[in-house]
Amino acid sequence: MSAVAPALREVPVRGLTSTDHKRIALNLGVVAFAFFIAGGLLALVMRSQLAADGGVVSEAVYNQLFTMHGSTMVYLFVVPVALAAGLYLVPLQVGAADVAAPRLALAGLWLLVCGGITMWCGFLTSGGAAQASWWGFDPLSDLPHSPGSGIDLWLYGVVMATVAEMLWAGCIVATVVRRRAPGMTLLRMPVFSWTMVVTCLMVLFAFPALLVALGLLWAQRHVGGVLVGNSGAVAYQQLFWFYGHPVVYVMFFPFMGMAAEVVATFSRRRFFGYPAFVVALLAFSGLSMTVWGHHMFTFGQVTNKYFSLTSTALVVPAGIEYFDFLGTIWRGALRFTTPFLFALAFLAQFLVGGLTGVILASPPLDYGLNMSYFVVAHFHYTIFAGSAFALFAGVYYWFPKITGVMLRERLGKVHFALMLIGTNLTFFPMFILGAEGMTRRIAVYPRGSGWRPLNELETVGAFVIALATAVFLFNVAVSLRRRQPAGDDPWEAHTLEWATTSPPPRFNFTALPPIRSHAPLLDLREHAAARVATQEAPA
Amino acid sequence: MPSTQHAYDHVAGIYFPVAAGVFVAVLVALAVLLARGARRRSPGRGEEANRLEAGYALLLAATVGVLVWITFTAETPIDKVVPRPALRVGVIAAQWSWTFRYPNGTEVTGVSTWAPPAAVVPAGEEVQFDATSRDVIHGFWVPGLHYLRQLVPGYTTRFDLLFTHPGRYLGECAVYCGELHSQMHFAIEAVAPAQFQRWLQTRGKSL
Repeated sequence: MSAVAPALREVPVRGLTSTDHKRIALNLGVVAFAFFIAGGLLALVMRSQLAADGGVVSEAVYNQLFTMHGSTMVYLFVVPVALAAGLYLVPLQVGAADVAAPRLALAGLWLLVCGGITMWCGFLTSGGAAQASWWGFDPLSDLPHSPGSGIDLWLYGVVMATVAEMLWAGCIVATVVRRRAPGMTLLRMPVFSWTMVVTCLMVLFAFPALLVALGLLWAQRHVGGVLVGNSGAVAYQQLFWFYGHPVVYVMFFPFMGMAAEVVATFSRRRFFGYPAFVVALLAFSGLSMTVWGHHMFTFGQVTNKYFSLTSTALVVPAGIEYFDFLGTIWRGALRFTTPFLFALAFLAQFLVGGLTGVILASPPLDYGLNMSYFVVAHFHYTIFAGSAFALFAGVYYWFPKITGVMLRERLGKVHFALMLIGTNLTFFPMFILGAEGMTRRIAVYPRGSGWRPLNELETVGAFVIALATAVFLFNVAVSLRRRQPAGDDPWEAHTLEWATTSPPPRFNFTALPPIRSHAPLLDLREHAAARVATQEAPA
Repeated sequence: MPSTQHAYDHVAGIYFPVAAGVFVAVLVALAVLLARGARRRSPGRGEEANRLEAGYALLLAATVGVLVWITFTAETPIDKVVPRPALRVGVIAAQWSWTFRYPNGTEVTGVSTWAPPAAVVPAGEEVQFDATSRDVIHGFWVPGLHYLRQLVPGYTTRFDLLFTHPGRYLGECAVYCGELHSQMHFAIEAVAPAQFQRWLQTRGKSL
């Protein structure tokens, strides 16, 4: 019997019902990554269509592709993977034995799986999948303009995913509030945990607005008379963007937190300007709740100047955050590992997305660029060239902790180089096309526009990204098969998750080091070095 | 007379160089720090600079103030609608067509086409648009004027545009509006005011 028990633990079903926060988070990460691959494949079909300027798929199919690409990436990949990282790491970083309310977190995993499958089942219906974009704007999304059940399945899927995300956010916040280890004061929490706190606060405050919007849309479709005329359309957008702008930072902060841990570790320095950084995070997340109207500058029905002011004001906390990154590297003794390279590319590329965001926050410029490929380029630079690079920094960095084995460095650097090239080839030309007048969400563009060469270049870039992803998956497979054991702390890192085994035991820790700052393991090393120095000093 | 092109060029002429400058400055700083840090064997101290950061935050806030001031002063005139424009044109967007309606009843309609018939307007004069949609949200976008206005069904939105030079301005629906969104184009031909009057009269008679 005792010989069977450990083997039973390896059975997948058992793994899928575990309430261990690490197992839930790992499964969630794998599920989210599968959705990333699926959404990426849709993008490849879209890029093929645009390189050929039509002919690959019909317009109706193309509309399904971009709707499902955006929905999959936002609802099923980026937000879930961000919260998965929080579910795995926050309990470890704050020295807790488990996440608070693990059964709710597990319920979230199943909700996400069901929601994603429900949404994708749209492709099996006679009318095809949803084709009202990931926004699902009324009145395009109401019954007369979007008949068929594809959009209903989309709606149910988004609701399930959103509820799941709120459950995880609640678990993470509760863990931080209730389960910190003795000595782990709020201002000793690692930077990543702080980014998760503000992320989860945004999830809890902003995501209900999406549920309300989708509830109204459901009622409009199945009962009618709810979202009527101009006020109905505007109400849906207000609610949607009240969710939709904070969600942009939900898709940014956790990844910035990952990059911060990576940069600090590979600079061999504690993260610079910690208190200022925490204040900047709180200010940023607070401001994030006030900027949604900038998505509606071109309505002529919102107070543009107010939203322009709040949106531009984000420069202040964002500037502090960049300053602290540079301050960490300043005086650092650097190690150019794969995670560090990804984190550096995150800094450079996210900056492109951030600075073009300041441009779009100015209505006279937004009038000219909104809904064009300039905007498509802008948000792919933030979410893909930014957040996804930081995510890979985090994956290479924490993979040894999660699996107990190292990822291959050389393959990692090939992955990085291909990602860097592919990403910029794909998304930079979009700025030019947008400024030249190419609008979003078109399956074909006007003949004689001269946009084809740049579109072909973008498509080449998209396939380079696909190749990079294949290299990454190969790296994971090789590393798991031919194992290079990682040990507890292969990187000489700073935070508590590295003070336990890799992977950590069921309840995370057998003993905790003293916690006197946000980098307790760095404290230990500095302490030991100081002791050696005093012993060696001549009496 | 304010033109959206002028406002765009004015603001872009400041915002884009500033953004490019910040990007280059950060990248150069990063490169210098990386080059120095690559040679360093043990890290230096200095982990907080709260006063410096507070001062820096004030500098950033001042930058925000300047940017916002530039934006506001450029936006106010282009958001304004004049009481007596040279011409008032009604615009009706629908899946997937554009109709331009003139005061004398003349209409120009293009249905999901790549080569839409041109709606003619006088160049160099204030043209006022009263635009709406018949079904879902559409986007009235004239890239050459750097101007987009979203048209919501049940609401007529009014905006003024100045076509500074004679010529053909291509427009497209910029807000995704259903299956044939890609093909929802329109064209506006700006001509000398006298020529516009002749066009309007002949079009009006031929109806």
